Amino acid sequence: MIFLPRAMVHLPNRRQALALGLAAALPPIVARAAPLRVAAIDWGMLETLLALGIEPVAATELIQFRKIAVEPIVPRSVTDLGLRGTPNYELLRTVAPDLIVISNFYEYQRPMLERIAPVLAQAVYAPGVPPYPLAEAAALALGERLARLAEAKRYVDETSVEITRLRAALTAASGRPVFVISLGDSRHFRAFGRDSMFGDVLQRLGMKNAWIDETDYSAAAPVGLEALARVPDASILVVSPLPADVGRSLPANALWNALPAVREGRVAVLEPINHFGGLPSARRFARLATVALAGQAHG
Amino acid sequence: MADRAMTERAVTGHALPPIVLWGLSAGVAALLFTWRVGMQWPTAPGDGVDLDRIILFYSTLPRAAVAVLAGAVLGLSGLLLQRVLRNPLAEPSTLGISAGAQLAMTAASVYAPFLMERSQGPVAFAGGIAAVLLVLSLTWRRGLEPVSVVLAGMMVALTASSISAALILANGDYLFSLFIWGGGSLVQQDWGPAIALAVRLAVGAVAALLLLRPLTILGLDDASARSLGIARHSSRFLVIALAVWMATGVVAEVGVIGFVGLAAPALATLSGARTLRQRLLAAPLIGAILLWLTDGLAQLAAGTGGERIPTGAGTALLGGPVLLWLLPRLRMLEWPNLGTNSPSPRKAARPRLIILLLFLAVLFAAGVALLLGRGPTGWSVAGGDMLLDLAAWRAPRIGVAAAAGAMLAVAGVVIQRITGNPLASPEVLGVGTGAGAGLTAVLTLSAAAAPVWQFAGSVLGSLAVLIAMLAIGARAKFGAERLLLAGVAMSALCSAVTTAAIAMGNAQSYVLLRWLSGSTSQATGVDAWLMIACLVLLTLPLFLAARWLDILPLGENTARGLGLPVAKGRLTLIVLAAILTALAAMFVGPLSFVGLIAPHLARLVGFARARAHLASAVLIGALLMIVSDWLSRMAAFPYELPVGLFASLLGGPYLVHLLAKGVPRHG
Repeated sequence: MIFLPRAMVHLPNRRQALALGLAAALPPIVARAAPLRVAAIDWGMLETLLALGIEPVAATELIQFRKIAVEPIVPRSVTDLGLRGTPNYELLRTVAPDLIVISNFYEYQRPMLERIAPVLAQAVYAPGVPPYPLAEAAALALGERLARLAEAKRYVDETSVEITRLRAALTAASGRPVFVISLGDSRHFRAFGRDSMFGDVLQRLGMKNAWIDETDYSAAAPVGLEALARVPDASILVVSPLPADVGRSLPANALWNALPAVREGRVAVLEPINHFGGLPSARRFARLATVALAGQAHG
Repeated sequence: MADRAMTERAVTGHALPPIVLWGLSAGVAALLFTWRVGMQWPTAPGDGVDLDRIILFYSTLPRAAVAVLAGAVLGLSGLLLQRVLRNPLAEPSTLGISAGAQLAMTAASVYAPFLMERSQGPVAFAGGIAAVLLVLSLTWRRGLEPVSVVLAGMMVALTASSISAALILANGDYLFSLFIWGGGSLVQQDWGPAIALAVRLAVGAVAALLLLRPLTILGLDDASARSLGIARHSSRFLVIALAVWMATGVVAEVGVIGFVGLAAPALATLSGARTLRQRLLAAPLIGAILLWLTDGLAQLAAGTGGERIPTGAGTALLGGPVLLWLLPRLRMLEWPNLGTNSPSPRKAARPRLIILLLFLAVLFAAGVALLLGRGPTGWSVAGGDMLLDLAAWRAPRIGVAAAAGAMLAVAGVVIQRITGNPLASPEVLGVGTGAGAGLTAVLTLSAAAAPVWQFAGSVLGSLAVLIAMLAIGARAKFGAERLLLAGVAMSALCSAVTTAAIAMGNAQSYVLLRWLSGSTSQATGVDAWLMIACLVLLTLPLFLAARWLDILPLGENTARGLGLPVAKGRLTLIVLAAILTALAAMFVGPLSFVGLIAPHLARLVGFARARAHLASAVLIGALLMIVSDWLSRMAAFPYELPVGLFASLLGGPYLVHLLAKGVPRHG
């Protein structure tokens, strides 16, 4: 066992030092003014941290995050903690962060996490509540706690400015309601309602959400594609990734092909976006959706 | 013969002739369908687009067609399997065919998406046939004895669906996929699946008619079949392949729909279909009616925001109770009773030494799990301060796992001895899934129910199931097969409740999903001590009451004759078993199969007397669970996999291997 001498100075706690010695992958700790070392359990918090220029020491399900959430880019040096539902506490203990950020969704893990480091929980998604303001609050709270308040404020402003700008670009396309969905297989979709980030941003872009029914935790459970026929003049935005069999069977799906949106070319497939994200996801969605919808309006 | 006459009277003496009953059911299904069509009938021509017509033609009509066709396909497939295996429990789900097909499709979507894009059907077939071949080869040496086959099938099914769940968990937008996989959905948008299923049904029906003679003979015992000059094995495999091809077609087109394949042939027989020809007609018909009716009801329950009950779960909700109610009326005289020819069990030569060795093995496993682990830099053996630090995380998990394994083992011993059935266990009889149904009920009442209430719900759920099973068993004087069949039905029923709740996709769903997959991840030191304390408190009385456990399997009369308070004693034991099962399920989920495996292994080692049997089962259960928990954390580090998966992977094959070797079993 080799102890990093600086770590000994910086973190006199014997256990932490010991843990540091274990974690060979860690970057060397820079002396006194070192920022807090943060671990993120929640993906929305992870992307917000990265957007504020804070590089977490550890986060969950990174293989999947890089595929589904895509941006911001997660540096290779971030330790993967495993599944969000059952993160590897032993590994997290070894990484020994100074702060762990979670969302209300992972409250049940709090007792375990608090044995490792203080926990900061920010709620973004609650049934029936539009999440965008909560995501803004979460970014500011993270900024405050991690001494990046200025950056956080700037990021919140930038995001809102960008959405306003995109809204202006969309005025030509507005008028039609929009379904934002993800496909479960070639027969079922999940609709994003008003308490989802996509639904909230859609409204901020000046568009109307075509899904007005109830949702549970921001998205309705699998619904048959025929429900899309309820709003004939709607456009459809499909958030990737698409399930494997869709490429084969969706083009052959008679009902899908009969939908006005499909016949009239008002369907667009968006690149993957984190479904339960923070401001960076909101921004990514706003950007991708605007390109898609503006394209439809002109084409 | 007297028995047969009695059951026949029971059936024919029923208030409604079966044909009227089925006619009525079909009528209700048709009524539901007409109502739906009426609702969607295009009202005013020119009212916007002709979307109403499109929905009617491409969604409502094909959905009804798929319900009827899939039901018929499953009914026929189940009948063929039951016939050639001479096994009333055989069907696509109990033989692992559906789970195998599902696993193949899940694996293909993760690792070879191009396969799923082009050839979903063949992928599903490959998975189904692999599962059934595995089951048959495992039980070949036992002459494909019905209960062994089903036991192996359930093991294969359980393992396959655990691996599917682990794959989904580790690789994707898992919740959505799990919702859809959880229960087959009959939602349709064109005629493709209906046509595909119609083809399978037509081919299956024609082939079954052509195979009528071999099928008739295969239903007899091997000796008669041989003397009649049938190429037994090749025709058997031909029929099995046909049945698998049909069943996996349903999995590929609409997902897993349990129960119809089991219930339809049984109900056909109960409804008076005597000859094979009659059954070949009745089983698909009844399957079709069952699924059509279920789907009609599922659509009735659906709101605009999506289906509340997936049809695949609905079949179990509807069919489970029906089968439970009909079981005592089901005749199973065609199959040899497995209990008759088993010689008395081998006795362990030096029981104390073996128990001591087992105890040392548990200590050794716990020690390894405590010391050896993976970290960011690879494998390491902890020592000194690092050990102190890591022990705070590892010890509670080891403690909880050991206690949970031991509890399941005790529950298994108790249940096996009360029922006098070596294959009974908390998992097989649906006691574990019953805990899930109880938990679901509590969470439905209040999403934020305190852990104490959640636990109380689990205990009540498992207690209710256990009492129901024993009541059914006692009333009908069940043999091993029948109790197992009731267990399958009960298990399907309870997991349907949980599946339906999970499919709602709300806050409760996540709690239930976590509970289902089982994890010691949240275990604290307090949990570990509590679990160990409960284990000791609940198990010690059993050691003192070992005489009860020795006498109860001998039958009620014997027990009463020996001066045992039978009713009171049974009830106490049942309550104990239910509490133990619910406690264990809180950490390791309902489907570990340790409750089946541990008592069985203990018996196979040679412990027949209750006290030694209990002690060795406790140790084996603890050992199995410690090792599984450790493996679940190490196998995909830092990703932690469901602990139940490893428990069934570890114990299942060994148990099946022993069964295959024909080691004597004993009730």
